[in-house]
Amino acid sequence: MSETRLKILQYITGIGLFFLVGTHLIVSHLSGGEPTTWESIAERASSSFWLAFYVLVLIFGLYHGLHGLRTIIIESIPRLPAKVVDWTLVTAGIAIFGYAAYIPISAF
Amino acid sequence: MQELTLKVQRYLPGKDKKSYIQEFTIPLRQGMTVLDGLIYIKENMDNTLSFRSSCRMGICGSCGMLINNFPMLACHTPVEELGTDRIEVRSLPNFPIIRDLVADLDSLFEKHKSIKPYVVSSDTEEAEEPTAEFLQSGQELEGYVQFAYCVKCGLCMAACPTVATDALFLGPQPLGQAYRYCTDRRDAGVEERFHQADSRHGVWLCHLAGACSEACPKGVDPALAIQLLKRAMIFDSLRLRKKKKPASIAQPLAESRPKIAVPEFTVK
Repeated sequence: MSETRLKILQYITGIGLFFLVGTHLIVSHLSGGEPTTWESIAERASSSFWLAFYVLVLIFGLYHGLHGLRTIIIESIPRLPAKVVDWTLVTAGIAIFGYAAYIPISAF
Repeated sequence: MQELTLKVQRYLPGKDKKSYIQEFTIPLRQGMTVLDGLIYIKENMDNTLSFRSSCRMGICGSCGMLINNFPMLACHTPVEELGTDRIEVRSLPNFPIIRDLVADLDSLFEKHKSIKPYVVSSDTEEAEEPTAEFLQSGQELEGYVQFAYCVKCGLCMAACPTVATDALFLGPQPLGQAYRYCTDRRDAGVEERFHQADSRHGVWLCHLAGACSEACPKGVDPALAIQLLKRAMIFDSLRLRKKKKPASIAQPLAESRPKIAVPEFTVK
């Protein structure tokens, strides 16, 4: 994929995160209630909407963060082989996604 | 008589392991530039001092140096403007030193060449044997003319914090020139330049520090050009970029033109 397309995705995920995390903040923390109680977590975990919502937050957050990290690595260690950087980050991203998505999906 | 202290970076490859600063105290004249000071040292105090200069009027871009920690053209920097009688002059950062104040600008020229800094013609026949000039409106010219004032002095590259960390980064000068030619309606090399700028060390590594635009002695604003290039590349990637119409060729002049009556000579 071209660098421009990767950057467009970076912008889209950035804007997406603003709204997704904003929604999470309003619903879970600013609208009253106790977001960390067992009932509250169980209620969200059993909802397909919230499952999809948090998986989306995870995807957007992972892409945005890892792409940012990639930019820092490219700039800091310019002569590092491109494939090494890309595949390390893709592997790390898939592993983190699998681990982080397993809990809400298995609880659903 | 007022005096000026010039602290000049010295480095002789093969002899010096690393560069050092040598102080020279010279008489200060009114309207003196930093380049005048260096020429005075070379002519009267130490003829081994090496620096580049040519036009002495900010046109050729040869005398780019780091003056009091800011990249400037020595010929374009009056001493009075610096507001001090102690001036430190170093070779341009982000470039290897050849000797004393002479920076090796090869990397700049290589990067500049890589973006095809010339009008790429789609009409090879016309390019080989031109029959007339390409037409261009004033408005079209205004779209890129400020970027065409670049003198390739390398000050923007020396000021860029990204070039400082990533030597492979194309940098403000080549990217600014890439935009300059991409907006030219006579040009048909947009795809090639976009491809070059789309590399890992291309346009997307620019963090918009703006140091390049601040350093440019010709008011080129490479930071603006890079942002416009980014926008054009995003539009191109989303297939939203408007294809520019190729510039038309001027009609050949008519064989016979109405003659303007020449007035009679008043003096015989």
